[in-house]
Amino acid sequence: MELGNFLKGATEIGKAMGVTLKHLRQRPVTVEFPHEDIPIYPRFRGRHELRRYANGLERCIGCSLCEAACPTEAIYVEAAENDPNAPLSPGERHAKVYELNLLRCVFCGDCEEACPTEAIVLGHDFAMANYERKDFVLTKEELLNPGMPKVIIRPE
Amino acid sequence: MADNVTFTINEKEVSVPARTLLVDAARMAGVEIPVFCSHPKLDPVGCCRMCLVEVDGPRGTAMMASCTMPVGDGMVVRTDTEQVRTVQEANLAFILLNHPLDCPICDKGGECPLQDQTMRFGPGISQLIEPKRLAKKHYDISDTIVLDQERCVLCWRCIRYLEEWEDKPQLGLFERGNETIVDIQEGRPVDAKTGGNIIDLCPVGALTNRVSRFAYRPWEIERTPSICMHCSVGCNVRLDSRTHQLRRIVGRENMQVNDQWICDKGRFAHAWVNDENRLAAPLVRKNGKLTAVQWSEALAYIAAKLTDIKEKFGADSIGAIGSGKISNESNYALQRFMRGVIGTNNIDHRDGGDVAALPTGLPALTEVMKPQYGPDPQVDTVLLFGVDPSEELPVLDLHLKRAVLRGGAKLIIAHPRKVELTRYDGPYLAYQPGGEPALLGRLQQAVENSGTSENGSAIGAAAKLLTESERTLIIYGPMAARGKDGPAVRDALEGLAQAAGEGARLAYVGLDGNAQGCRDMGVLPDQLPGQFPLDDDEARSRLEKLWGCTLSTFAGYTYKQMLDSQEMKALFVNGANPADESPDWAASLDNLDLLVVTDLLSTETAQKADVVLPALGWSESDGTYTNLERRVQRAPKAVTNPKSRAAPDWMMLMHLAKQMGVEWSFSDARSVTAEIATAVPAYSGLSWEALGDQGSQWDADAAPAEAEQGSTRGASADGPDNSEYPLSLVTGTVLYDGGTLFGLTEEMHGIAHGAKVTLNPADAAAIGVDAGSKVSVHSEQGSLELEAAVDAQVQTGTAWIPESLPGAPVGALLNGSNTQQVKVERR
Repeated sequence: MELGNFLKGATEIGKAMGVTLKHLRQRPVTVEFPHEDIPIYPRFRGRHELRRYANGLERCIGCSLCEAACPTEAIYVEAAENDPNAPLSPGERHAKVYELNLLRCVFCGDCEEACPTEAIVLGHDFAMANYERKDFVLTKEELLNPGMPKVIIRPE
Repeated sequence: MADNVTFTINEKEVSVPARTLLVDAARMAGVEIPVFCSHPKLDPVGCCRMCLVEVDGPRGTAMMASCTMPVGDGMVVRTDTEQVRTVQEANLAFILLNHPLDCPICDKGGECPLQDQTMRFGPGISQLIEPKRLAKKHYDISDTIVLDQERCVLCWRCIRYLEEWEDKPQLGLFERGNETIVDIQEGRPVDAKTGGNIIDLCPVGALTNRVSRFAYRPWEIERTPSICMHCSVGCNVRLDSRTHQLRRIVGRENMQVNDQWICDKGRFAHAWVNDENRLAAPLVRKNGKLTAVQWSEALAYIAAKLTDIKEKFGADSIGAIGSGKISNESNYALQRFMRGVIGTNNIDHRDGGDVAALPTGLPALTEVMKPQYGPDPQVDTVLLFGVDPSEELPVLDLHLKRAVLRGGAKLIIAHPRKVELTRYDGPYLAYQPGGEPALLGRLQQAVENSGTSENGSAIGAAAKLLTESERTLIIYGPMAARGKDGPAVRDALEGLAQAAGEGARLAYVGLDGNAQGCRDMGVLPDQLPGQFPLDDDEARSRLEKLWGCTLSTFAGYTYKQMLDSQEMKALFVNGANPADESPDWAASLDNLDLLVVTDLLSTETAQKADVVLPALGWSESDGTYTNLERRVQRAPKAVTNPKSRAAPDWMMLMHLAKQMGVEWSFSDARSVTAEIATAVPAYSGLSWEALGDQGSQWDADAAPAEAEQGSTRGASADGPDNSEYPLSLVTGTVLYDGGTLFGLTEEMHGIAHGAKVTLNPADAAAIGVDAGSKVSVHSEQGSLELEAAVDAQVQTGTAWIPESLPGAPVGALLNGSNTQQVKVERR
């Protein structure tokens, strides 16, 4: 009886050690963020960005359709007329104010879907912690100039 | 309706009035027919072909344009067949051939009939691969209207509005076929005073609002039904607001007042509401400088000063100036404060005690209106005496034009200027300021002897018209009946109305948005609320009981007397700007012990004040306004400025009264409205809820019989013929003036009247000035530096300088009467 128990215990320990030994040969999954980049999928929905055309003009025309589509009212847009001599965007209209409240946003991506010019996109930045509530409201300037997120795009 | 016809639509039998257009009949039957060109207030043209429906006829079923076809008895109509749907889809595909589909940047997007109908009736796919037609985009056809020719679907609505209502065909179609575009004539912008209505009419985004451009999206605005306060017509409007800001104003239908039209001033001149220079905190003058303080400090300061002045100099050394621009509630609270708390009748407004008015205004605006499908106007002749509706009351102008063009009404115009309405060839009776009684005397005589005394002249023609017409309406305004000649002019007009026969009626119209309400509220030195004379015991005891005080029976000072008098020690000025009217008044305001100004902006008067109280105006607080036909209408709160500490007038006066030992029991603006309904018998029952969105007219029979006017103010002789000052000064109101409420809308500066004196070409040539020369205008009182303009509209021997021009107070030239001789010199 005692021998039986001993053998049973030894087998269990052996199994457990087997798992350990198996993983000893694998590379660790822990990423030393922020010293290392994090691998994410290309369709990851992170912090929003406003994009520009290649010629530097803003894609956003201030149409407010993202605002209409937003289920949490996280977006606020004020449009204005372009100065024909120094336009900010192609056409007559640009966004004078574009604010996005990250505390409200649920990262559903409906704004992306609604945008007729593919101006607003959900980027790959996920590190959005901050110290002040007001800093969670992204301004147009911040949206147009997103930082380089510390990520590696991994294949789908 | 006299005779009905019965027809079948989609297998349902419906009975509608005869001559109803099929498209309207279908709407009555609850069937929607998509349209672009058809509009219930414009003549049918049938050019968009969107409304084709199947109608059974003698030669089989045919596709008919339902917007041009009156319903016939027994007609069989189908709107839901496969063929109708095919035609609708094809039509929409055709209309969209050249439509740019730039909906995301189009102001119409979200409330666009083309969008809606494409979704409901369109094919759902586009087969178009060819490039679209290119045309002019976003170009200005006036300072306030932007045209995008690519978006236009050629429905003719704007063209028809300008032709049928404004009678100014300023837009037209140019080129042919695929190239057809709507445009103005080269270099001639749309300048019709109600031209902005074409923006509301446009079924696509071709015509958009320059002032509100890109400032709103239809799905995110709050819509508040309100009224316009720029003039006394009281047009119904809708205020569109977002984030505490007024973004846009559009017309709202009220068939008793404005049909659905509003003028450009009402539509575009609203920048003052959200102006950053609005007064936002109470100011008290400390060491010569106005300093922001707490409400309690400002009110305590006023209360202490007032008590002191009242003790030393008596209640009659304190006065108050109300305004026709502020609500009934504000005016009522102000006069209750003066009468009940201070104990004086020194309360008046600009067109108040100095103008010989009549109590009830127009009988009804519907009497001069001619809606598209409605009865003819009830009046057949309108005599405008010293009123220029085109500049003063633009929507009344629209109604009158329509009444002449479509309703067979006749116009007689008596005015110092040959005003715009004289283009309808009714008799034009010219007079110079001061010549009103003489002209009226001649006219009355001519009416009495059927025109024989003035044979062949305009007066003769006018007299003939007045004699022949059965329902005459004589309208006069404050310009004709101001000053010491006023009562004589009014009496002469009453005489004329009597001579013109039984159907003739006389009406006085005030010009400010709440001119009538201001009188009804008792902002007059000689009348209690309800326009009762001071010695009317019944009215007085009713008010004494209501207010718990004793009322003075001594008539107070008028507006002019308060400002001219040296005995005034303290003055409340609420919504008025006397310092800008005349340099003399500006100086006399400096001599007061206490000047309390309640206003929206830091006006010239406010800069002289000891205490400035920031007010909440129209669109920011609930208020009622009474228009020129006694219609009491609501203007609810639509926007709030969260950073401002401004308060409604009734609230500040209530707290001030409390500081002076009198408790008022108002809880909100609507409780003031409720008290007005008690204090003014004519307003009984007109509570906030009862007024509704269309307002309610008070009964003219409820006005007290007009008191006999003392003959102390006799008629003056004709103006002195002064050779040193050869020109007679004509003043008055222009729509686009330099007033604070208009001047803050920058987009409209280009069409503002500007600091100009206008002369007849003959006079201008004699003096040697051209349009644009710099001139100085002198009178015995003072002088003004202005720019000259030349226009044949101005009679020879007169010089036309409107009131409220930027930096040019015409009051500087006036000696207080309405007649003044001036000379114009080149400088």
